[in-house]
Amino acid sequence: MNDQEKPVLALFYCRNVPQSGEAERQTLEEKYGRSVRFFPIPCSGRLEPVHLLKALEEFADAAYIIACPEGTCRYFEGNHRAKKRVERTKEIIGSIGLEGERVGIVVGSREGTKTLAQQAEDLTARISALPRSPVHVRR
Amino acid sequence: MITAEQKPIDEIREMIAPYKRVLAVGCASCVAECAAGGQKETAMLASALRMADKMEGEERLIEEMTIDRQCVKEFVLLLDDVLDKYDAVLSLGCGAGVQAVADMYPEVPVVPALNTEFMGETKDQGYWTESCLGCGDCMLYYFGGVCPLARCSKHLLNGPCGGSMNGRCEVDPDVPCAWQLIIERLEKFGALERLEMIYPPKDWSLKQGRGPRKIVREDQQK
Repeated sequence: MNDQEKPVLALFYCRNVPQSGEAERQTLEEKYGRSVRFFPIPCSGRLEPVHLLKALEEFADAAYIIACPEGTCRYFEGNHRAKKRVERTKEIIGSIGLEGERVGIVVGSREGTKTLAQQAEDLTARISALPRSPVHVRR
Repeated sequence: MITAEQKPIDEIREMIAPYKRVLAVGCASCVAECAAGGQKETAMLASALRMADKMEGEERLIEEMTIDRQCVKEFVLLLDDVLDKYDAVLSLGCGAGVQAVADMYPEVPVVPALNTEFMGETKDQGYWTESCLGCGDCMLYYFGGVCPLARCSKHLLNGPCGGSMNGRCEVDPDVPCAWQLIIERLEKFGALERLEMIYPPKDWSLKQGRGPRKIVREDQQK
């Protein structure tokens, strides 16, 4: 599968995810090229449905957020809010006929928290079977 | 605050179907507070509509802007500079906002994106309740600041009905019994005697029964 055929992932992530600094992001951007776009945010609670929607509208085949494990959000409830906003976004895209799995949230476990690189790898594998979004397929 | 909820996207798409250039106009007042028609919600709806169009190969321009108040002429006037570009306005204002825009631009079709619900208050994040019917003859003094017309499921002016259990309404146990609240509040500030009066039915013919209401204040006019 060449780069053009791979689904494009918009990956939002909390800056408190392990090993998610600027240097790591740049390395990952080089590794994934156009197939993953990385968006660091100060807390997953900063995510709004409009961020996921705009990504899906403009370039992405899937848009995900990586949040901190339950009970470890630095701002207490950012990851809970992110979950609800992802659910709301699923409802919205469902109402226009887009598959719910095009958006999602990944919440690490407290034990063995994964780094940004590991999460990105898991997610690209997870969405690899997704067909290109009908939003970007020219009719 | 006036509360509202967004209409189903299918209904909105059906209404804007005849138009090729649509401006979604949000309102940053009440409907922003109830997360139905503010800047964020307008951006979300416009984005979803654009995606739906792309998926169906529909060529339509959908752009968005939000004004501070859609029910006040001075703010609606901001549309003057941009409306030429569009065939229709998709309003995320309440019913008053939709009509204010329609009134100012008689030649532009205005499509409502929201269902206006009620006058109410924000109880908690994401939780709004009805608290005023706008009867035009406020009796909150007599009822300790709790309106039985808006908050009692049976709209009783001479309650309680006797059907509540543990302070919850028998019609809907999610609703606190307005009459229990009235009695508790009046008791707290020693004003239970206000309930010894018999309150006659409201004379609706004086207010709502007279057609659309208006307020004229000469001291506020030019």
